[in-house]
Amino acid sequence: MDGVITKKSNGKLGGKDLINIGIYAAIYCVIMTAISMLGFIPVLMPSLAVLCPLIGGITMMLFYTKVKKFGMITIITVLIGAFLWITGMGYWPFIFGIICGVVADLIAKGGNYASKKMTMLSHGIMNITIFGCFLPLYLDIDGYFASRTSYGSDYVNVLKTIFQPWTAPIILGCAFVFGVLGALLGMSFMKKHFEKAGIV
Amino acid sequence: MDPRTKLLILITITTFALGGAGGKRVEALVPVLCMMPFLLLITAKRFKTAVIGIFLFWVTTFLLGFANTHGMSGFLYYILLGSCGILGRFLPCIMMGRYLMESTTVSEFNAAMKRMHVSDNFIIPMSVMFRFFPTVIDEAESIGCAMKMRGISLTGKHASKIIEYRMVPLMTCCVNIGEELSAAALTRGLGGNVKRTNICKIGFRMQDYVAMALCLIPWILLIVDVVK
Amino acid sequence: MIKFENVSFNYPDSDDASVENITLEIKKGEAVLLCGESGCGKTTLVRMINGLIPHFYEGRMNGHVYVNETDTIQAELYETAKIVGSVFQNPRSQFFCVDSTSELAFGPENMGISEKEILARIDKTVSSMNIRPLMNRSIFDMSGGEKQKIACASVDTLNPEVCVLDEPSSNLSLEAIDDLKDTLDCWKKEGRTIVVAEHRLYWLKDICDRVICLKNGKIVFDMTMDEFKNLSESELRSHGLRSVNENLEMTPVKESPLDAGNMILENFSYSYRGFDALDIKRQEIPRGEVIAIVGHNGAGKSTFSKCVCGLMKSFKGYIEIDGKKYKSGKLLKNAYMVMQDVNHQLFCESVMDEVTLGMDDENEEIALEVLEKLGLKEFADRHPMSLSGGQKQRVAVASAVLSEKEIILFDEPTSGLDFYNMEKVAELIRSLRGNKTVFVVTHDPDLIRRCATVVLRLEKGHVADIKISGGNSKDGKEKERYFAAV
Repeated sequence: MDGVITKKSNGKLGGKDLINIGIYAAIYCVIMTAISMLGFIPVLMPSLAVLCPLIGGITMMLFYTKVKKFGMITIITVLIGAFLWITGMGYWPFIFGIICGVVADLIAKGGNYASKKMTMLSHGIMNITIFGCFLPLYLDIDGYFASRTSYGSDYVNVLKTIFQPWTAPIILGCAFVFGVLGALLGMSFMKKHFEKAGIV
Repeated sequence: MDPRTKLLILITITTFALGGAGGKRVEALVPVLCMMPFLLLITAKRFKTAVIGIFLFWVTTFLLGFANTHGMSGFLYYILLGSCGILGRFLPCIMMGRYLMESTTVSEFNAAMKRMHVSDNFIIPMSVMFRFFPTVIDEAESIGCAMKMRGISLTGKHASKIIEYRMVPLMTCCVNIGEELSAAALTRGLGGNVKRTNICKIGFRMQDYVAMALCLIPWILLIVDVVK
Repeated sequence: MIKFENVSFNYPDSDDASVENITLEIKKGEAVLLCGESGCGKTTLVRMINGLIPHFYEGRMNGHVYVNETDTIQAELYETAKIVGSVFQNPRSQFFCVDSTSELAFGPENMGISEKEILARIDKTVSSMNIRPLMNRSIFDMSGGEKQKIACASVDTLNPEVCVLDEPSSNLSLEAIDDLKDTLDCWKKEGRTIVVAEHRLYWLKDICDRVICLKNGKIVFDMTMDEFKNLSESELRSHGLRSVNENLEMTPVKESPLDAGNMILENFSYSYRGFDALDIKRQEIPRGEVIAIVGHNGAGKSTFSKCVCGLMKSFKGYIEIDGKKYKSGKLLKNAYMVMQDVNHQLFCESVMDEVTLGMDDENEEIALEVLEKLGLKEFADRHPMSLSGGQKQRVAVASAVLSEKEIILFDEPTSGLDFYNMEKVAELIRSLRGNKTVFVVTHDPDLIRRCATVVLRLEKGHVADIKISGGNSKDGKEKERYFAAV
């Protein structure tokens, strides 16, 4: 045992990894809730797709430094999706969470959980989960409004103009682009603060 | 009620009230489904939440009706419709979510997940997450206090850096606490290779079956619709 | 029971060994006290017994540690967990569940023990530790002492043969320490082996029967408690230890009063959830002195400090200084709290930015002067978070001094400090006397006897008595009023 640097690594997720996932998921969800309080006026809801990826990036970049095994990014994304689901944003973020989580995890794994470019890309993909919140507003829009004719056709027309299908890709794009930017922001915070504070 | 029943209700509401699946057949059932969370909140003695929810729900419906009958138009109308439309749709789900969170203890939730054969890889992070929420909020409040004493605020001269000033101490404190929490949990045997047990007793009772029956109706209608 | 064989350990970023060539044997049923100044390696030893080193805290390790014939280096953490139970320093960060009953079940659940057996064990622990009233409650609503009891109880349900405690008393009040003592006593009677790493020694003198003192990672002495009790105070000091027969009286230091006039707290009352957390009608406090605020948990100390600093929303009282009224908004500008966890109040990239942040015009020269006085000049360009705990505390003080605050309040500034660092804090606080009015919320009698000139005791939100240095203990009017009301 002389002078051996003791470090275990096997593919299985250990207790420490699982607790880390929970901790960062909690921080992320609290930040997300705080932001959506800001955007409580529903028209400002799209700000969620900009601010969450951006500010959440600070948390997530710190989390990415703890990731060394496959599965951690998947689990945290699914958890965030599940949190959005049970706080009433519908099940789409959950489904998106599973897909985006696995894809983001695979990308990050492709960079061996160390490459900066891969991390940025992976964080961008991960944040598409947030788009899931908006999806029901676009999906099956005619079917939905068919059942709401009692509100008057004016109402339906107005809502249709607000949620025109072409705005969907914009929100989706926002989530991705700001996810990448958020990763950059997070990395700069790491250099500026967290590395010096010794918590990396 | 069993957490699994609550989850079923949540899925049903999100599918039919939020997602608008099922078309005309289910339409009549939607208001019933929408009222369910409020009823549940009242039975769980969360009167405040229930009253706020019912109030908001009623206001949005009223505003929509008002705007339509008076033939409003223009920008304000758009905003009003947009806001009420979204709020009206999301509200029942948000209320159901609130009910689920407020009436279920973490151990009940874990027990339910266990029964549904969810892997420990999800259950453990999830329980850590629930345990950590109050801690994160606590820390954020303390940091808010510290910022106030230093005169850092949105109206002060350091407004541009406010996110940085909030995030850096928050992350540092939470990560440190998290580290201690991990150490404590590991010394109590977390992460072993035996199957974890759970002392929390959950099970279906009368009210669960009633709620489940109610939830099944729209699903059956949907299936009938699809089969046709 | 526990055997160290020529053990050394280095944390990854340091060249100095944390412990070096330790060989040690602890017999079954023994109760051992590990002491020594901060950084002497006692926490490292504890972490080796419970296996956190090398499995959680990684580094370079030599030698072998055996607990009950199990090699903790080879065994996985969950294996070691069956024999060794651990209680840590910080009560708020060591529980895993939200409610107390699940917390007690957490350990056995991890072991895969059957539900019936777990319930039986919980029942046994609850009755032997007398914590029935704490069951089925949210741990977040508990006091530090209650949390620490739950932590002990959750170790108890695992029924370990060895219990290690790492500075378990540092965040506790004197009453809570007494409870902790009872728990240890009970474990000792059951024949468990106990290892405690501690700074405060007085409460362990009847529990531990062997004392091991470390310095720079090496054992300085290893003697029985009876021998240890005979050491002179100066010998204890030379090892950086606190007294074994700690004087628990909270009396102020003898200093001639400043006579700088009084500040008057008016209508200091605050109630939440329908009960009065704080209810002081009027209280005069000498200006420029160091005022220690003491009292039990729930006596209103933290409400008091928040009110003084203007942090309580909808608080209606005020402080009158020189005939001027300071209400919440103004107090916020004129008072500053040095928090228990200083990390909450360090925002900037460098110490210099940090201390000039609250200044009206950011004058670096004045800032450097203050930094020099506090011994921080050389750190002006460092990141505040990279400093040691004591240095961080001084940065917070520097920023309070520079933003020209009239009142500085310290919240538990010495929790978890050894003798040497506690004295440094006392020195720092004393140096502020005369320029600022300083409030110190604390449980630490040693600190009070070193720096406080006024001791104010709170009880159920009222001022129970106020002792002023030089003067006799004079009971406040509040007390009479309070007892008249009861």
